[in-house]
Amino acid sequence: MELIKMEEIKKDYFLGKTVVHALRGVDLIIDKGEFVAIWGPSGSGKTTLLNLIGTIDEASSGRLFIKGEEVKKLSDDRRTEFRNRSIGFIFQGFNLIPVLSALENVMLPLEIMGTPHFNVRETALKRLDEVGLSDFVEHLPDKLSGGQRQRVAIARALVTNPNLVIADEPTANLDSETSHKIIELMRGLNENEKTTFIFSTHDPRLLDQVERLVRLEDGRILNGGNEK
Amino acid sequence: MIKWIKIALRNILKNKRRSFVTLIAIAIGFAAVSLFQGYIHNTYEGLRKSAVRGEGLGHLTIYKQGWLEKGKIDPDKYMFSQEELKRISDLVGEDEDVILATPQINISGLVSNGRTSTIFLANGVIPRDDKTIKGAWAAFRRPVKGEGLSDKKPYGVEMGEDLASHLDLKPGGYGVIMATTLDGQMNALDIEVAGTYDTGSSATNDKYMRVPFGFAQSLYDTEKADRVVVLLNDWNKTEATRERLEDTLSGAGIACKIKTWNELSLFYLKVRGMFDMIFMFIFFIVFIIVIMSVVNTMGMAVLERTREIGTLRALGLKRRGVSLLFAVEGAMLGFLGTVFGIVLNVIVWAVIRAVGPTYIPPGYSSPVPLIVNLVPQSMFFLMLFLILLSLMAAILPARRAARQNVVDALGHV
Repeated sequence: MELIKMEEIKKDYFLGKTVVHALRGVDLIIDKGEFVAIWGPSGSGKTTLLNLIGTIDEASSGRLFIKGEEVKKLSDDRRTEFRNRSIGFIFQGFNLIPVLSALENVMLPLEIMGTPHFNVRETALKRLDEVGLSDFVEHLPDKLSGGQRQRVAIARALVTNPNLVIADEPTANLDSETSHKIIELMRGLNENEKTTFIFSTHDPRLLDQVERLVRLEDGRILNGGNEK
Repeated sequence: MIKWIKIALRNILKNKRRSFVTLIAIAIGFAAVSLFQGYIHNTYEGLRKSAVRGEGLGHLTIYKQGWLEKGKIDPDKYMFSQEELKRISDLVGEDEDVILATPQINISGLVSNGRTSTIFLANGVIPRDDKTIKGAWAAFRRPVKGEGLSDKKPYGVEMGEDLASHLDLKPGGYGVIMATTLDGQMNALDIEVAGTYDTGSSATNDKYMRVPFGFAQSLYDTEKADRVVVLLNDWNKTEATRERLEDTLSGAGIACKIKTWNELSLFYLKVRGMFDMIFMFIFFIVFIIVIMSVVNTMGMAVLERTREIGTLRALGLKRRGVSLLFAVEGAMLGFLGTVFGIVLNVIVWAVIRAVGPTYIPPGYSSPVPLIVNLVPQSMFFLMLFLILLSLMAAILPARRAARQNVVDALGHV
């Protein structure tokens, strides 16, 4: 079942008078429940692709459908609501809110959604338990290790039960052992909950854990985006 | 909402030094405005009592129609006759808020000790009514040295201290006053200085006297009065009672003009005008300081937390949610700043009460205590205003934060 469909997506950036073609006509379909890695060298367009799928950026041309809905036709408010309910984000730099505890960070997307407080707390605690952080719920981000922070970020991304989780180089700031654990954790959640994961990486060691590889180079998908 | 307040509070506490400077600016601004407001509140209260009780203006003064415009040219024509005075007294006395309605007459002429003479201005009052009007205020604020006016001593007068001093007259001393009657004849009467008093103003202390009403009428050789002074049970009812009495008296066919105490007390009006202007000036300065402090603090916060804004937007917080977050932070700064301001205000107020400083205002003949009132209602409204102002000042940087592109915000270093 199609979750994401991209048709001839192009994205151009302007650096002064210079036009940078970040994506040069991408066609891609990702089905529900897939565990997909976007792989490519720096500057190949991985982050741009993920930003477009995550609806935090707009394509210069082409059409993007998520759950059958064309993203371009949504207003900013609708798109933001859609993101809140359907997409979870895991960032390379974790991007936790520094003044909130691990639990409060995980509770945040549900609170934005307007879920009643009791349910919010229970759900967030459950997610933190799933990522092995039930003993660290009251810790502020700066009291956690890099791996623990990324687990908090994963719990936060999953707390709303999204259809899709987007992770932009989730292991870039972690050592290889922690990176493997994080990818394993994501893989486990993908298998158990059938959540679609799309993550970018340029670390070849992680590629044996993915079921589908989309290789990007110079803003284009190679081999039809169906390697593996 | 509680979550946003929590985030706002924690961010304020996170940047302790910057927040402290902003809070201190708001607190000092609040305390400055509130203390000055407390000072002028006390001053206005004092001036009101001084006008109503001290100057003996009462709350309302009833003049015959035309007196204020042409009374000086043809006083006899524009004074109330005895019959009119009785009717006014009866009609006004029936009003539930009126304590007293008493006729008065202003006179002027020369006063002499037998060797030297000088001009005087005097108010002819019924001594027992004058005591009612002045109440406890006279003894507390400007006590009369000597016996003072009495119904039993029809020629006993109260004299301004400087006037008595110029004439070398003390309580118990005698003199003569001279004036032309309403018919233009010269008339003179003996007086006994029953008391001396401080008018409170150096401009009037060497001219003013108070004389018994009947005595003043005798000097002017008339049975008329130029006004009726009305004392009310509550000064807040002044305007409402004026309207009521105007209806009553015009309904009874008495053509008159009723003035309130604040319309007649030029001193009150001038001082109030001056203080209001100074207040606006101080308030404007505080207004600018608060806005600049909050805009600066929130501007820095938005810049530092650009990545956080991007994250919140990515997590699904709408633009107005981001605006709200920073607006709440601005309002929290305003709230905490004004809470500190209240504490500062109370401390300064307590110190002033304990030290009891005095000063001599321009035109005053004796020192007056510096008193600052605590006015909870004004403090509450000022607090609300500054919180609202801080919130508004935060909106500008908050809107800037909300408009940021999510990808750019996430990539901010």
